Amino acid sequence: MRRLISVLLLCLLCVLPCGVGVAATAPHADQPLLNNIMSSLSQHASVRAEFTQARSNPALAKPQESSGKLLFVLGHGMVWQTTEPFAETLAMTGSHASRLGPRGFVRAQDARGVNQVSQMLQSLLAGKPDDVLRAFDVKASGSVAQWTLLFTPRQERVARVLGGITLTGDAFLEGIRIDMHDGSATDIHFTDTRDAGPLDALEKRALDLP
Amino acid sequence: MNRSSLWLRAGLFAAATVAMALLGAWLLFGRGQVPIDTDLLAMLPATEQNPLAETAVQRLAHANGDRMVLLVENADDDSAKAAARVLSKRLAADPVFSSVLGELPPFDLQQFVAPYLTHRFSLLSEADRAALAQPGFDLAQNLSHQLNQPFAASVGTSLQDDPFGWLQHWLDGQPWSRSELMPEDNLLSAHRDNRNYVMVTATLDGSSYDDGIQRRALASLADAERTIKHDYPGTTLLRTGAVFYAASARAGAEHDVHLVGWVSSLGIALLMLLAFRSLGPLLFAFLSTVVGVIAATTVTLLVFGKIYLLTLVFGAALLGEAVDYSIQYLTARANAGARWEPRTGLRQVRAALLLALATSLMGYALLGLVPFPALQQMACFAMSGMLAACLSVFWLLPALLQRSAKPLSPAFVRAALAMQTSIARLGSGRRGWWLAAALLLIAAPGWWQLRHDDDVHLLIAPPPALDAQELEIRSVTGLGNGSQFFLVQGDSIEQTLEREEALETRLQKMVQDGQMHGWIGLAGMVPSQQRQKANLALLAPWMSDPARMRKLLTDGGFRGDAIDAWLAAWPGKPIELTAWLKQPIATPFRHLWMGKNPHGYASLVLPQGQDDVAPLRAAAKDLPGVQLVDKPASVSTLFGLYRGYASLWLLAALLLLVPVFAWRYGLRQASRVMAPPALGIALTLAALGYLGQPLTLFHWMAMMLVLGVGANYAVFLHEGEPHVKDNPGAMYASVLLSAVTALLSFGLLSLSSMPALRSFGLTLLLGIAFIAVLVPASLRMGGEASR
Repeated sequence: MRRLISVLLLCLLCVLPCGVGVAATAPHADQPLLNNIMSSLSQHASVRAEFTQARSNPALAKPQESSGKLLFVLGHGMVWQTTEPFAETLAMTGSHASRLGPRGFVRAQDARGVNQVSQMLQSLLAGKPDDVLRAFDVKASGSVAQWTLLFTPRQERVARVLGGITLTGDAFLEGIRIDMHDGSATDIHFTDTRDAGPLDALEKRALDLP
Repeated sequence: MNRSSLWLRAGLFAAATVAMALLGAWLLFGRGQVPIDTDLLAMLPATEQNPLAETAVQRLAHANGDRMVLLVENADDDSAKAAARVLSKRLAADPVFSSVLGELPPFDLQQFVAPYLTHRFSLLSEADRAALAQPGFDLAQNLSHQLNQPFAASVGTSLQDDPFGWLQHWLDGQPWSRSELMPEDNLLSAHRDNRNYVMVTATLDGSSYDDGIQRRALASLADAERTIKHDYPGTTLLRTGAVFYAASARAGAEHDVHLVGWVSSLGIALLMLLAFRSLGPLLFAFLSTVVGVIAATTVTLLVFGKIYLLTLVFGAALLGEAVDYSIQYLTARANAGARWEPRTGLRQVRAALLLALATSLMGYALLGLVPFPALQQMACFAMSGMLAACLSVFWLLPALLQRSAKPLSPAFVRAALAMQTSIARLGSGRRGWWLAAALLLIAAPGWWQLRHDDDVHLLIAPPPALDAQELEIRSVTGLGNGSQFFLVQGDSIEQTLEREEALETRLQKMVQDGQMHGWIGLAGMVPSQQRQKANLALLAPWMSDPARMRKLLTDGGFRGDAIDAWLAAWPGKPIELTAWLKQPIATPFRHLWMGKNPHGYASLVLPQGQDDVAPLRAAAKDLPGVQLVDKPASVSTLFGLYRGYASLWLLAALLLLVPVFAWRYGLRQASRVMAPPALGIALTLAALGYLGQPLTLFHWMAMMLVLGVGANYAVFLHEGEPHVKDNPGAMYASVLLSAVTALLSFGLLSLSSMPALRSFGLTLLLGIAFIAVLVPASLRMGGEASR
């Protein structure tokens, strides 16, 4: 499940910018608005942002907060670099997920999820967001300048646990919120979103870029 | 012996034959299931020194044995799912399936987690074990990572039940979590490269090897398949399961039996009609052959209880050899003309027939010495068949063949004579030996090119289409028959699991090195008590100090009541194998537990994604109680071993003939009688080399028959020649008749769907042809016939 959500997000982050092709094959989407949102997002092939993530849970007295930097490269994946409360760099690409250790990037353990990510990613990049749309209904609202996309699970057994995933944004993606039925939620906000510019050597290596 | 005693003997023989036929018919059809064995595995020899390993092979092969695993595939997800629903409904409606699993019963994701909560402190993933064991491990840091991972949303285990995610990490490593199949819309679905798969499994209400069940199940599936392919265009149905392999083996064998049986029968009939110029001999020859077939079938059923497909096909080809005895007797009658007297005729051919029978029986007895169930059965079938066919010539035919007959077709005899004369002339005296030397010289490069092949697929060659489907299903679902596996044995359940863990430590390393994908083993799902104690011991330093842990979790942001509940659950209970095996989640893995046996307990570990046996063997090396079982490799090794023996046997049999022939014909002449069979074998080997056929055990087996049959021809020709002085060429004509009938039936085997029988047939085809051509060269008076 955790995997499913991260897969979904990864897919969305990777694909939303590709725009038109996706919307045309999205039977459950509010097509004109979704179309426009995607074509607006697709202006930016690689994006940097600062993020804060807040996690609330019935077992927690106060939400857990973390923050850091994000690099997203269209068609290649993302580098999720947490700086607070600890330093950790994760790279998530189509084919694998890896963690930056003292001796460079090491593949993360959950190979199966990664495999799935790769498959879904590839299908999405081929202009077929079927995997996302198979698992979720998408509802778009607002305007291109300030939009909200709500993903609700289509699978009943998933829906029993996961309430929904909300993406908000303007020209860039601004926020992700994941709501669970047990009362827990994850809120991610992006600030200072900008076009990425050139990538450094480590980033390129992390994303398998030449 | 007078006429009435002749009839009496024939009557008794006929009665015995009828009794035999009735017994055979009852054995075949009177006991419910037809005892024709379509299970190809049953034909394989027992290769494992450890009898438990053989049991394990059977068990694994049959784990999927009575089940069809079907994957509905379509580029469109909704179509794939709808088609799978229709398929499972259609199959479920047919009583030939005892259960069909398509739509899943409703269940909660939490149901996967709940049973494990009480064991949560005893179960740790490999990564967590390693982390906890590290000196200076920072649990607070670990908690922080756990709480702040990207997109973190605690599903699976709840944060309250599993604050550090230990149980979740362990569950993530379980085979059902690693499967690509995910429940979607209440169907088990997988998605890959734009293709959508939905799995449906159907369990047969009976055995896959039961003829009736097989036909009904396949018909039902074919019917459902037509419907879904029509209603949901673009749907493909992938299938695997023993029932498909059994059905295809049966279809192949039926095709072979029909082809070999009918074509050779027709061919033999035609030849006999042409040679004897009347219908009578044809009927008598067939009568004798039928007696042989009846006896062979009945005796084989009595001895083995069932008949392998391979035996049936081989039996169809044996017609061509069984008919030889009657051909000899009928030729004697044809040659005698008006002077025919059945008893004199019998005396005339007796020595030849007995000598021929003895060499044949010897050849097949050697075949039966190989400890292969399939070959032993073929030998038993052949020996009883040949013996009965020969006895029918002695006891049944004389009474039926009292009247004289037309002589052999003069044209045929003239042709045989011309051939005999020219070959005998070429082969006479010193020139013959020079020619033989020249032939050997031509053959030598062919021998040089001989290679060998001991692959098990010689015996079992499932259609590539079925294999491809199985491979695809295995890669998508992780289900399928592996023929390589580890057998782990121990004195107790605990020791077995501990030994499995020792193996898995090595396998884990191979996975990390990219040498294999993974494995499925019970110790991964139910660790040994020792391992569980060690897990508890790793956690104990933290858990046994509640105050410190409380502080750590409070600092991490946890609420007091959540902490209390979690701390109260420590240490929980260990998970027990016997209890776990009874749970529904264990169903797909239950066959991995072999249970108790006289020597203790045993379990199976299935490696995935590594077909090369060497690294797997290395993984099991020096681990007590762990052995790699690789049935195909074992069978191949055995094939190779017996191929070696077979070549020695051939030499031995050849040498064994020398004293027999020397006793009958004198040492000097014996070498000439021996020469055609020996040369024929040498040329056959060369021809196989030139044809690029790698030699297999089955080529050598056929070579033994070539020797037997070839010796027969030499004997027939030598024994018979003095009796046909007034009709030169008649004896060779009868040998040619025998040879052509044998060529027809054995030669057709080279068109068989079974590679083993193809090699067998081709060798016999070449060998018999060579010997039939060479055999006149052995006649003492090389030029006499032409004089």
